[in-house]
Amino acid sequence: MRSAIQQFNRLSISQDAAPRSISSPFIRTLTTTTSPRASLTTTADTVIPPPSDPLQPIGPQSVLATIHAFPSLEPLRFEQYPASHLYLPTRRDILHRAVIYEGDKTRLGTASTKWRDEVHGSTKKIRPQKGTGHARLGDKKSPMLRGGGVAFGPKPRDFSTKLPRKVYDLAWRTALSYRFRKGELTIIDGAMTIPYPSVSYVEDMFNAHGWGNKDGRSLLVTLGKKGRRDFREVMEKLGNFGRMETWDEVDVKDLLEMGRVVIERDALKNILLSHQSDLTNSIWVKGLVSANKQEL
Amino acid sequence: MPPRLQVLRTATSFLCPPKSTAITPLLAPFLLPAQQLRAASILSSLSDTKGAYHKKIRRGRGPASGKGKTAGRGQKGQHAHGKVPAGFNGGQTKEEITNPPRGRNKFNPFKVEMSPINLDKIQSWIDQGRLDPSKPITMKELNDSRCLHGVKKDGVKLLARNAEALTTPINIIVSRASAEAISKIESLGGTVTTRFYSPESIRRILCGKTHPTISLQSPPSLIALSLPTLSAKKTPPPELSSALTALTSAEAAQEAKDTAVASVMSQVLQRYQFRLPDATSRKDIEYYRDPAHRGYLSHLVKEGESPSLFFKMPRTVVPGGVKRKGDVKKKATKASAENKLW
Repeated sequence: MRSAIQQFNRLSISQDAAPRSISSPFIRTLTTTTSPRASLTTTADTVIPPPSDPLQPIGPQSVLATIHAFPSLEPLRFEQYPASHLYLPTRRDILHRAVIYEGDKTRLGTASTKWRDEVHGSTKKIRPQKGTGHARLGDKKSPMLRGGGVAFGPKPRDFSTKLPRKVYDLAWRTALSYRFRKGELTIIDGAMTIPYPSVSYVEDMFNAHGWGNKDGRSLLVTLGKKGRRDFREVMEKLGNFGRMETWDEVDVKDLLEMGRVVIERDALKNILLSHQSDLTNSIWVKGLVSANKQEL
Repeated sequence: MPPRLQVLRTATSFLCPPKSTAITPLLAPFLLPAQQLRAASILSSLSDTKGAYHKKIRRGRGPASGKGKTAGRGQKGQHAHGKVPAGFNGGQTKEEITNPPRGRNKFNPFKVEMSPINLDKIQSWIDQGRLDPSKPITMKELNDSRCLHGVKKDGVKLLARNAEALTTPINIIVSRASAEAISKIESLGGTVTTRFYSPESIRRILCGKTHPTISLQSPPSLIALSLPTLSAKKTPPPELSSALTALTSAEAAQEAKDTAVASVMSQVLQRYQFRLPDATSRKDIEYYRDPAHRGYLSHLVKEGESPSLFFKMPRTVVPGGVKRKGDVKKKATKASAENKLW
């Protein structure tokens, strides 16, 4: 009996992982909706075969992700990813902390004003203390006077807050897992390149895949810039269709912002490798794919 | 303003009452109201856990804040205006001097703190597939599978709550074990070994810098038991497999066993940054020498010896045995005294 329940539980994991069909969710909420388009084109099929012996230890879990060709999005093969990388539960609090941390970190904090002692000018008393029939005044740099300093005005400062690296790395993988669970993570084999720098070509491609503006825009993540210059230039013109970034330019908020994430396999590998400090004891990141060595 | 979609959804739920007919699933896509499918980002619904943040109390910011006029400092005096040294009692002897913490709340550096682990929980973890009974279970396995949430400073003690729940034979290595738990596990054909862990070594074991069982004084049986944990591969390296055969076979020569232990130790030292320490205090050594505790040092206790390092076993009387040295001397002095003139 126990084993039967166990089998059932395991099957339910894999069912959860599979993209929901169009007919199944009757009442949908906004954030958990899988858009039908996404489920058709971007398959996050995860099928964990049920173990033959129910008492076998579970061990490290993994999920299967589809690797697609570009730009046809033809599914090429499955690839296995650890569940701790692409199938984490959606911890909204962790994502929130990461997004706030990034927001704080990117604040410039350059607002600057001159206080009364920094304003250029004399400290001479501008009129006698008594007898003029006017208010008492000291020097002309007083914050009360025109041309005077600013009382307690802003000075350049650092707004950055701290977040433990392990929490931040967990947030990265949680963001990717969230995309993967919703079928909004499309993994591309090789490099995303276009044959010629044509806006209409990219527009047509985005419309055909349902990646464009009305489908919530798309974030394209590449390994490097080499060979993608045409595509990047076109994407800069097509800002309302999405954005193209390299793997080290994106952050957690970028991953969560748009309708979907289209990512090169090597870029995903680099992101996962450099954000697993909570899983490994080593502080060194090894095995990153170099953008210069990639074949185009 | 609340999102309009919310209104739309509640309206549709009134308009289309859910009917479960056989045809509904087929028609579902067409029955769905033509609602606007916007891409809603998760970013708008992110929030930290309730209680993770505390709003800072802003003192002296007006009566409405509740901490306005006196800002929570009361009226008049040194306390209202400035600082008073912590614990200052008006010049009287301080509270912590006259009335220091006693009893349970007092810090006790000699307290032994262990994480309890019960047999029923182990069985439950095995049933869920979270613990592998074919491999030796140590505190590392227990912590990694979240059977224990962290290990307290002195290690793990095995207890026998719902002992009848355990049905799988297991090989478990812990800091201490209750007699009932030992008898239950051994009746199923499993083994219990208790071994010494220092607080620092526990921390290192949990982060994978020390091997959880193999130390310099580990008996060959314990080393043989924990050899499978040394290599993650299905086929262990040849030196390990040869060491395993040397350690497990009864008729192997002592020299072969020693070389096997040495090779295993060198493997452990290559793989782990720190060595696992052995018991050094008398109390610990005596605990782990005791066969009743299934201590890892119990093989060092010779025939007729007790685990205690302090009390000697009572001398066995040998009938007609060797005479004492003192007796001979006494007799010699007596004889010489008899020969004296004065």
